[in-house]
Amino acid sequence: MKSEKLKRGLLVALVWVLIVAFWEGSYRIIEWKAYVFPAPSHILDSLLNLFGMKTWFGDPVWLVDAAGHSQAFQRDPQWPLHGQDLQVTGSIWNSQLLEAVGISLFRLLIGFSISLVLGLFIGLAMFRFKFIDALLGPVFLGLQTLPSVCWVPLAVLALGINETGILFVTVMGSFFSIAITLRDGLRLTPTIYRSAGLVFGAHGIKFYTQVMLPAGLPALASSLRSGFSFAWRSLMGGELIFVLKQEGVGHLLAVGREFGDVGQVVGVMFIMVLIGMAADRFIFAPLEKKVQSRFGLGG
Amino acid sequence: MSSNLSSKPNHPSSGTRGKVEIQGVSRHYPGAEKPAMLDVNLTIEPGEFVVIVGPSGCGKSTLLSMVAGLAKPDKGQVFLDGKLIKSPGPDRAMVFQEHGLFPWLTVTQNVEFGLKMAGVPPDQRREASRKALDLVHLSEHTEKFIHQLSGGMKQRVAIARCLVMDPAVLLMDEPFAALDAQTRTMLHEQMQELYVEMKKTVIFVTHSVAEAVRLADRIIVMHANPGRVRRDFRLNLPHPRDFDASDVAYYMKTVRKEIDDEVNAHAGASRRVSEGVGSYEI
Ligand SMILES: Nc1ncnc2c1ncn2[C@@H]1O[C@H](COP(=O)(O)OP(=O)(O)OP(=O)(O)O)[C@@H](O)[C@H]1O
Ligand SMILES: [Mg+2]
Repeated sequence: MKSEKLKRGLLVALVWVLIVAFWEGSYRIIEWKAYVFPAPSHILDSLLNLFGMKTWFGDPVWLVDAAGHSQAFQRDPQWPLHGQDLQVTGSIWNSQLLEAVGISLFRLLIGFSISLVLGLFIGLAMFRFKFIDALLGPVFLGLQTLPSVCWVPLAVLALGINETGILFVTVMGSFFSIAITLRDGLRLTPTIYRSAGLVFGAHGIKFYTQVMLPAGLPALASSLRSGFSFAWRSLMGGELIFVLKQEGVGHLLAVGREFGDVGQVVGVMFIMVLIGMAADRFIFAPLEKKVQSRFGLGG
Repeated sequence: MSSNLSSKPNHPSSGTRGKVEIQGVSRHYPGAEKPAMLDVNLTIEPGEFVVIVGPSGCGKSTLLSMVAGLAKPDKGQVFLDGKLIKSPGPDRAMVFQEHGLFPWLTVTQNVEFGLKMAGVPPDQRREASRKALDLVHLSEHTEKFIHQLSGGMKQRVAIARCLVMDPAVLLMDEPFAALDAQTRTMLHEQMQELYVEMKKTVIFVTHSVAEAVRLADRIIVMHANPGRVRRDFRLNLPHPRDFDASDVAYYMKTVRKEIDDEVNAHAGASRRVSEGVGSYEI
């Protein structure tokens, strides 16, 4: 059983190595244009650059000729530049990328916390009070479908190009979905928990803290999980468009585009996926799983 | 043997608590064709073990949830010891068909839940839950979570959760229906022991006539569309009942004949045995 799994894992890794090798190889043979689509080596080069390192294998796609005119998107005739070592130009910990990741995660933490508090509060209110549900339910359902970058123009006009604007986009992009998932999840909690709670004397606030809240934990966990991924996507969208002094991961993507550094563009996308996946895999999926197993669902 | 089935109360009221009066109760769910309950009248004496049998949809659960205070009648009233039932209260506890235990709490915490809600201090709660879990033979499993228990164990925890409340009335809605025959028999025995010890009023709903004759002092037969009480027997046999299969078969046959006759009569079959509704004596 275990060796079966190991074998499959190795096979998957092997196929990926082949795909990457084929990708890199075909790039060099066909001489694809680097600004159209990067080779793996470009991506790695750009990422290492962002980590404060210079490599010998990167293909400089942004050239400056002797007269100082930029000749974008041309292949360096001497590429790959043999005989150079990997140069570390600065501390990794102060590198552009890690700094950007730190800034983005900080914004995410604040934005997600705000939409969590708002979302849980309003989701609960919609569940509890029919009137509030009738009032806000359809609006929230509608707004939830709005792509989060569509909040950017409003944020710019109403709040200006600043941290508040970015926070606004992050919150708007995630809080409707948190409220709606929570409400729907609570509606699906078995009525028998409610009946049992009432029969055994849970009244008023205790009914909510001792019965509805724990009974709603699976709903809460999935609402957290999807809410987080909404918040992350919204923040990245916001950062891509807002240009602020504090540069987050989204900015690196925008910068990559501006400089025609397609390696950086794809590399940063890769980093975004990595962060989103890591959060899901190491925080939210285990949380959901833990709650579910306590409830005797799934594993 | 047929003298054991009669309309006289089995034993004089053994306590002062736990008299349930259901007076002219009707319930028509919105959208339903026929009322779930129509003009049901029933008086249950303190300490009586009443088993309600009847086909699916005849309003057994509806009746029980009204006594619990979870639902309100459209018409009529339900009283407990002379007081109108308006909401759930600590004088009534319920065992649900699907146990209804809280999966986020351990066995002990589940059993203590009602006491905690009532503001009983932790050490007293602990003591009470220990005793109750002893009574249902579960003292080995106090720290487990609900999904780690077997079906029979879950139902015993659900019973213990009721016992700690020391309710006047114990309501049980098909509590053993989802269990295998062996576990059910074991729980019947334990139920008898508990009943003899506590002498609480028990209202027990089931589909099974065998279960009814094992447990009941009094069997209420209900019919559907609309939900009504059609028969009311008393089973004058001592508790705990040392029944073997043939005893059960004998009483089942007697009771079932009554029910079948009533079903036939109700269905408009030619052989109308009786028009009688209410207490009936064989
Ligand atoms: N919440 C509800 N809304 C509408 N109709 C209901 C509701 N609950 C019960 N009913 C209807 O009322 C009738 C009685 O239901 P009840 O659950 O009391 O039956 P029961 O005797 O407990 O049946 P079973 O043996 O299947 O549990 C049924 O016809 C059912 O369809
Ligand atoms: Mg029922």
